[in-house]
Amino acid sequence: MSKELVNRWFNKISISERNLPLLLVDGYAYTPQMAYDEVNRGTQLGARLQSLIEMGKFGTSSLEEQAIAKVRIQTILASKPQDKPLFATMSNKVFTPAQLMEEINSGTLIGQQWVTSEISRMRNIVQVR
Amino acid sequence: MPALANTFLFVEPDDNYLNFASVPLHQIVEANKQAGQSITELMGSDANPARNKQELNSKSPLVCQLLGHGSPSVYTCQNLAPLLHAENSEELALMNERIMLLTSCLTAQQLGPALIDAGAVAYVGYQQEFWFYIGDSAGATRAVNSPFLAEFEFVKSLLHGKTTGEARAAQMAKYDEELAYWTTGEGKNHADASELAQILTLNKSICTFLGEASVSPSPQAGGLTAQINPAIPFVIATVALGYAIYKVA
Repeated sequence: MSKELVNRWFNKISISERNLPLLLVDGYAYTPQMAYDEVNRGTQLGARLQSLIEMGKFGTSSLEEQAIAKVRIQTILASKPQDKPLFATMSNKVFTPAQLMEEINSGTLIGQQWVTSEISRMRNIVQVR
Repeated sequence: MPALANTFLFVEPDDNYLNFASVPLHQIVEANKQAGQSITELMGSDANPARNKQELNSKSPLVCQLLGHGSPSVYTCQNLAPLLHAENSEELALMNERIMLLTSCLTAQQLGPALIDAGAVAYVGYQQEFWFYIGDSAGATRAVNSPFLAEFEFVKSLLHGKTTGEARAAQMAKYDEELAYWTTGEGKNHADASELAQILTLNKSICTFLGEASVSPSPQAGGLTAQINPAIPFVIATVALGYAIYKVA
């Protein structure tokens, strides 16, 4: 089990990903940046976060996964110009970040599609090697 | 008329944001078409139902790559004009024996299975919404092209003579390659990298393949060249020469 693995993982993921909640320990969410800092400080919390990263898991139940995925999407979309259309579908729908956020908050089919996909993406990120 | 090998039809409407798909598709066709292939591209206002039906009847393409807005049971082309309905057997019969690639939302729910039931040999389409990014001009950046680079890898592989099964594998691999580009590759610090990775994750998870995996756009040519041993012409020439020498002697 090595600190180097965590450092390599941290350096591979994007700068924007480093400050999005990803890992859960005892009901609290931690970003990759927090995990990196804790691991390098050699704390007990760091050891638990390192263990999650080594296993390629984010340590949540499916309800918590959905909650974290929503927070991540909200954080990402909130940082965009709210009224510029950024996304479209091949069913003739166009969305600004604000409109997409509304779909996610209302739990529509489209909103659920994005939350499910974000959970898959979180899995991909924690398994980056 | 049976579907003709090495004959491709591309339907490329460009209204209602469809230029984001038609621009990269046209570039892929131009860069990958091969000698001996019959290629028809119906672009913009030509991508209408009447021209489509005319081309299908006159050229009988084996491979049909159609772009357009869709719903579970309907595919539309330019101006949202419907071309295919899942419950219209006359329209479905037009696609008999063809490889049908529908870059369109939701058609894998009803229209795709209906096409296979009506005799199409293979179908690729989407179970839910197919997403793309419109933050830059159509065709201008890797970001706007990325979802379509993955999607069109299937038809690009067919243009290179691959089977439908090989094309499917290449398409899935291209999805992974694009995902890696925005997650850990050169694109990871792009302002919208997270959303691009999410769009690719989403599209990949709902991309659906139905039908036969062993169909090639040029099955006869592939079979024939495989059967001819390259040593045979040399053997025939040697026997002929030997016979001529024998006769002279």
